[in-house]
Amino acid sequence: MSRPAAPLRQKFFTFNVAVLLFFIGAGVVFAYFRFFHGFASITNLSPGFPWGIWISFDVACGVALAAGGFTTAAIVEIFGQGRYHPLLRPATLTAFIGYFLVALAVCFDLGKYYNIWHALVFWNGTSVLFEVAWCVMMYLTVLAIENLPAVVEQYKGNVQLPGSLGLLDRPTNWFLGRADQVLRRTMAFFVIAGVVLSFGHQSSLGTLMLIAPYKLHELWYTPLSPLLFLTSAVSVGIPMVIFEATLATKFFGRKPETELLSGIAEYIPSFLGTYLLLRIGDLAYRGVLAKAFDGSLQGYSFLVELSLFAMPYFLLKRPRIRANGTFLFLCACSVILAVVLNRFNVFLIGVNPGNGYNYFPSVGEIAITLAFVAFGVLLYKIGVNYLPILEEQAPDHEPA
Amino acid sequence: MDISRRKFFKVTAAAGGVAACAVAKPALAREAKEPDPNEYGMLNDSARCIGCKACQVACKKENKLPTESSLEDSLYDSPRNTSEHTYTLIKLFKDDKRGVSSFVKRQCMHCVDPACQSACIVGALKKQPDGSVKYDAQMCMGCRYCMVACPFNIPQFEWKKAIPVITKCTLCSESRLAKNKPTACSEACPAGAIVFGRRGDLLKIARSRIEASPELYVDHIYGEKEVGGTNVFYLSKKEVAFASLGLPDFDYRPVSGLTESIQHRIFQYFIPPIAVYTVLGGIMYYNQRRKNQAAQAQGGEEHE
Ligand code: SF4
Ligand code: SF4
Repeated sequence: MSRPAAPLRQKFFTFNVAVLLFFIGAGVVFAYFRFFHGFASITNLSPGFPWGIWISFDVACGVALAAGGFTTAAIVEIFGQGRYHPLLRPATLTAFIGYFLVALAVCFDLGKYYNIWHALVFWNGTSVLFEVAWCVMMYLTVLAIENLPAVVEQYKGNVQLPGSLGLLDRPTNWFLGRADQVLRRTMAFFVIAGVVLSFGHQSSLGTLMLIAPYKLHELWYTPLSPLLFLTSAVSVGIPMVIFEATLATKFFGRKPETELLSGIAEYIPSFLGTYLLLRIGDLAYRGVLAKAFDGSLQGYSFLVELSLFAMPYFLLKRPRIRANGTFLFLCACSVILAVVLNRFNVFLIGVNPGNGYNYFPSVGEIAITLAFVAFGVLLYKIGVNYLPILEEQAPDHEPA
Repeated sequence: MDISRRKFFKVTAAAGGVAACAVAKPALAREAKEPDPNEYGMLNDSARCIGCKACQVACKKENKLPTESSLEDSLYDSPRNTSEHTYTLIKLFKDDKRGVSSFVKRQCMHCVDPACQSACIVGALKKQPDGSVKYDAQMCMGCRYCMVACPFNIPQFEWKKAIPVITKCTLCSESRLAKNKPTACSEACPAGAIVFGRRGDLLKIARSRIEASPELYVDHIYGEKEVGGTNVFYLSKKEVAFASLGLPDFDYRPVSGLTESIQHRIFQYFIPPIAVYTVLGGIMYYNQRRKNQAAQAQGGEEHE
């Protein structure tokens, strides 16, 4: 029943790729101004809003939406739900791409990006950001290792280097063989490390804004924030897997994996339920629920966020809904949007630094963010096209 | 047992990736910082300020800052807000209905327990023994978390530069205090509205001013306790609330209290991360063994 994963090997330069390249190109133009003429030339950042969408979307949402990697790994490898194994490799690949882009986005946002390594040498233990930086860095390494088997599997035993480098074919093959063995033996260690590291920085992202009690709105300023960030990240893990799998099915002309996806979707309501319980419990306990109905932008934003979380919770409890590919996809989108809006609320919409500062992202900021998204999609396409990521399907409607 | 446990600890800590967080431990266990009466600071008396902006000019000269004009002819230095080029600024508060007005000097408060220091990812902002909060541009990587953290929105960023750094008031620490000179702004003030001195003395001066003219002043020294205490104090006219001068009613606890205690609790002695690691490892081991047994019972057709 379970087939091995294989590279797709489809035609690479399609119209969609051209669209992606267009967005990347636009981003590059704006990036030129960012790096050579300063932030003021293309961003709307200000002393009151030193962090804009590059932090709230590219970093905060990027990390949360890459949670598919560690949640799937935990379900499949740690909790032994082997039947979802086909979903693991694509999830691990997207997580790696996601974190890679987060790291890249951070470099765009840092004033002195070439000092990024300072976080390794100059330690400030009281800084939440310091902890986030370390965990993200280490998790990116772990993700790279978790993706190695796919690379090794692809090239092991058939390395063919060009020209005189051909002499190195055999040693390289031997090396890959050894690497394969070592990876098989040590992978368990990295899988657990990945989950622990994810717990660490997913929650710490929620601690970040707690340093600003007078700037962040009460609906989001809560000591429970780290736990809420963690549980919402866990909740969005499977929806991201569903989202990606559904799109991959559509764009790569593959057979839908609805059965598999609706199976794994069964876990979503319990994750969402936990999150909602904590969230509403916290608001009620702190007595700030009324703020949601005060007619302010923040109040409305909170209500939308909460409904986007709550709807899929109720819908996905029903097996009939889960079994329907379209509904499943829509529910997944709802959870994803909920998490994205939540991160925006915490980092932007719920922030009032006083002094009459306000912020709306500029064209340049949006263009660069879109370029990151496009770059991510392109990397995914390259990944599944040339590496054994997606499970091989019986070639009934597409002659190979 | 001890040895194996320690070995496990080491391996998990090093490769499991929580080693870095070890430093969080000692730093976070600290007590609330007590203000040091011998540190330097300033007293800004809004009731005495006449709005001449001599301090603003002196600051620009001292720190060689360019002028900023908000007027069309760009002849005058007329910043509207503190910025990367304006470390201190005299602002006017005016309430036409009640017919009251007051000037207030904006600048870094040189907090006793600075939020910016707690937040900075690399420790580029540090409280100095002389009382100033010093910024090290060499260390900084421009993440701007200090700007998010500062409750007074003080740190500024050089938005117009290709390689920007943070700028803010230095309390003239290196340029003047080190040479036994008072801050440039306090020296320039013709109205006695900026007093430079040691924190303890400044509090006494402030209190005696309030006592001498209780009808003139709000009976409160802003900065004595706010956000854990600051080294820059404010006095305000009776009819002008501090909040309307951009000095909000902040709590007496440092703003970094919550983040630091959360960080501290999570990473205390590595216990939580290691516990999670161990539990997950246990579950994984159990599930794999069960799978292997099942496979053997079936005749070993599974390959893993
Ligand atoms: S006022 Fe802001 S920048 Fe100045 S020491 Fe306090 S927290 Fe730091
Ligand atoms: S911008 Fe510089 S000084 Fe401010 S927190 Fe980041 S590294 Fe520290």
